[in-house]
Amino acid sequence: MHDDDETMPPARRRWDPVVKLTHWAVVGAVLANALLTEEGSATHVWIGYALAAVLALRLLWGFVGPAEARFSAFLPNPARALAHVREIRAGGHTRHASHNPLGALMVYAIWSCLGVVIASGIAMAGLPGAVRAERHEPAVATAQVGGEREEEGEKDGRKDREGEEEGGLGEVHEAAVNLLYLLIVLHIAGVVFETRRSGRDVVLAMLPGRG
Amino acid sequence: MKHHHATLQRRAALLAVVVVLQAIAALFFVLDLFGDVIADGMGQHLAIEGAAVVALVVAVFGGALQIRALVLATRADEAAVAMARGAAAELVRLRFAQWKLTRAEADVALFALKGCDIAEIARLRGAAAGTVRAQLARVYAKAGVGSHAALLGSFLEDLIVAETPAPAGLE
Repeated sequence: MHDDDETMPPARRRWDPVVKLTHWAVVGAVLANALLTEEGSATHVWIGYALAAVLALRLLWGFVGPAEARFSAFLPNPARALAHVREIRAGGHTRHASHNPLGALMVYAIWSCLGVVIASGIAMAGLPGAVRAERHEPAVATAQVGGEREEEGEKDGRKDREGEEEGGLGEVHEAAVNLLYLLIVLHIAGVVFETRRSGRDVVLAMLPGRG
Repeated sequence: MKHHHATLQRRAALLAVVVVLQAIAALFFVLDLFGDVIADGMGQHLAIEGAAVVALVVAVFGGALQIRALVLATRADEAAVAMARGAAAELVRLRFAQWKLTRAEADVALFALKGCDIAEIARLRGAAAGTVRAQLARVYAKAGVGSHAALLGSFLEDLIVAETPAPAGLE
């Protein structure tokens, strides 16, 4: 229905520079924090903040961007996703100017996952200002997290505050990250599959220079 | 040949880089501000900082809208050029058929339309300049024009509508 919306660009799939940049910035941030930075280090945290900003910009773009970048072009719809699967099985082929219905679900899954990773990360690291304040006068930060620390404090004896704080949130952060890795693998598998089914445009559309 | 939409596209991409950096900066400042307010309470300095943060966020918004305008302008430009190209090709095909140009004459006429002079056409076709000059003369005769400029004009006349074109889009 909205695949042939008259505001959609014709025929070939294409993404605007904001979609591309935010996509690759997320890739860069996830790779950097997965492979390069030390967990919990300042760099890790700052990359996390940058990731949050990039995700926020992409979500803003979901309201103001061109037609195919907007949420309205790829609302999550399991029924359509199922129909899409049936179509693939039947060998049919509809062109989608935005994400295909299955891809759309993946997009929301990855965004939600990133959201949880970011939220738990910021909850652990604190606001940049708060972190600074904490360094100057530990009492402020201690008061903030005092509540949860009571229960968590006993079972985790290592290193005082840092270790204890990480307990529950750290597990959420880690679980969400692992889920994110799984989603990324599925996403790449989906792109490979779709590329073999409908051609190189799927990949080319996300590469620079075809705005 | 450089196309206008390629320029627009580059501008959109550049602006996107700027806006992404701005968004990152904005988030840092927002978080920093929250942290400061939590730590020290709201003061005059933080109020001003808050106003600056709001301005930055508004700038991100404005930048996003500007990119959208550029992206849409790029696409409109591409579509217009593609349409004009199709229309021009169709018109050329039609006229050449009406004028009953031979294959060689049609070839020469097409080069002439693209702005090649006799020497260039001769080089491109591997023919003598004299031959090309004669072929071009027959094209002019069949088309009922007296010069290269008049030949171009006869096509433009059909492609351009007499009304003044609207000033093209964005500043």
